This record gives sequence, C-alpha cells and structure tokens, in this order.
Amino acid sequence: MVLIFGGAYQGKLEFAQDNFDIKDSDIFRCSEDADLDYTKKVFVNFHQFILGCVKRGVEAKDVLADNREFLNDKIFIVDDISQGVVPMDKELRAWREMVGRTMLYLSKESDSVYRVFCGIGQQIK
Amino acid sequence: MNYFISGGCKNGKSYYAQQVARDTAREKGLPLYYLATMIPTDEEDRARIRRHLAERDGWGFETVEQGTDICSCLEGTTVDGNPVNPSGVFLLDSVTALLQNEMFKTDGTIDLGAADKLEKELTEFAKKTGNTVFVSDYIYSDAFIYEDFTEEYRRGLAQLDKALAKICDQVVEVAYGFISEYK
Repeated sequence: MVLIFGGAYQGKLEFAQDNFDIKDSDIFRCSEDADLDYTKKVFVNFHQFILGCVKRGVEAKDVLADNREFLNDKIFIVDDISQGVVPMDKELRAWREMVGRTMLYLSKESDSVYRVFCGIGQQIK
Repeated sequence: MNYFISGGCKNGKSYYAQQVARDTAREKGLPLYYLATMIPTDEEDRARIRRHLAERDGWGFETVEQGTDICSCLEGTTVDGNPVNPSGVFLLDSVTALLQNEMFKTDGTIDLGAADKLEKELTEFAKKTGNTVFVSDYIYSDAFIYEDFTEEYRRGLAQLDKALAKICDQVVEVAYGFISEYK
C-alpha cells in the first residue's frame, strides 16, 4: 500500500506513473458519489471520495478499515487540503478534518508514503 | 545557478530569497537586481511597495520594474536609469504576481493562455540570465472549492512552478523559516 499526497496540481499522478508500474486501466478516478472499485489499483482524487463520505455521514477510514484485505496493492493519491484558512462552510470544515483523519490511517497502514512538491516527490516513509 | 523557492504566505520566503541572491552576487562579483513585478493599483499596494523598498534598503539591490513581458526588462534599464546587465543576479519576486498581471488584465479581460505564455518566457529568462532566484507561492493546500477563474489561476501557477522546479538547479520550500531542499 502506497500513499502519495501533496497540494492540488503538483503532479502527483505523473509522479506515480513515473515510479510505479501503472496502466491507464489501473486508474480509478474517485468522485463524491461513486463507491470505490477495488478491482482497480490506483485511487486518484481520493479526497473527492472523502467529500462524498462527509455528505453521506460515513467515516472514510472506517470504509477503508472494513475493506482492509483489498488494499494491499493500492496506491492512494490524495490532495493535502490541510494548510489553508479554516473554511466558513460547515461541510468543508468537516471534509478538511476527515481528510486529515483518513490520511493518518493511510500513512500508518502504507508501506511507503511520498509527498509531491512542484512535481518533485520526496519519500517520507 | 537558478533557484526556485516556494512556500506558504509570510513564511520567510522573500527574506531567504534575498539572502540567496545577495550571496550569489557577492560570490560571483555580479550586479544584483530586484525584479519588482507588482503593478500597484491602489494606496494599499503603494504602501506595500514602500515597505518592501525599506526592507531591501542596504542589501545592494538595484530595482527593475517589470509587471508583464518579463524578458523585455533584460534590454531595459533600472529605475535609476542604468542599463540592465543580463548576466547579473536577479531576484524575481514573484511568479505569482506575474501570472496575475498576465492573466487578469487591467481592462477586465482574462487571458486563459497566460500560463502557457509565461512558461515560455520564464524558461527563456532562466536560460538567458543563469542566475535567477524565482519566488512563488504555495497556494495548493486549502480546503475550499473555488470558482472557475481562481481554479484556473491555481492550475496555471502550478504549471509554472512545476516547469521552474524542473529547470532550476536548486528547489527549496520555506516553511516558517525552515528550509527543505528538494533538489
């Protein structure tokens, strides 16, 4: 299991494609309203899945923990949304916090963790 | 040697960038230029410029003003009227302001091709000078859903940051005065 995070538009998927064996058909683009497809290997925009969890009142890391056995070969790509102003909107505030909790779970469970900054990846675990 | 420096707002990027530029100029015996990129539109901007000028006082910078078409300053003059030497050391603060000037025009129009244009110009600028310190702003980690133009601006700035991080010899993130070297 691999976690790759960083700010928006930093080249996280490109970094993953350069460093791991990924086919286009391996990529699952997460959205607010779709369930995860565990037959795919790479979950891109995972923060969008988490926003969907907020809207449905589900804890994203519980969803992951319940499906832990399917996650060993997965690469999670998540936008780090933790460094701006606290959002005025209640839902966005809850999103920001749930992304944080989920990233803590993912970084603990992952064999390796990378942060991508301006296209350059740095391994932090 | 070209440098790319980014990080959050008010984290000490400019101060660090000033030191890098000054030390490079001293070491190589080159003229030292501050490339002022902000086009002032009101008293708040003018006050900010005065504050920045005071902060740079005594550092040995000659100021060059260029808000758009950045490469043309290499054939221009400093605010004191001296011709600019393209082999000097340039502190370009900031990439963020340049994209703002190129994308959101003073006549109210928006140029969606601004990031592509600037990517070419900044790449050319880095090549021509060889001793530029580029400063940008890391605006990619907040929990907010922006309207289209702001999102396009964020995407465009990230495009420039990635291009500069690729071609620069050194890439640094400044976080509250702490330095992380990526390259």
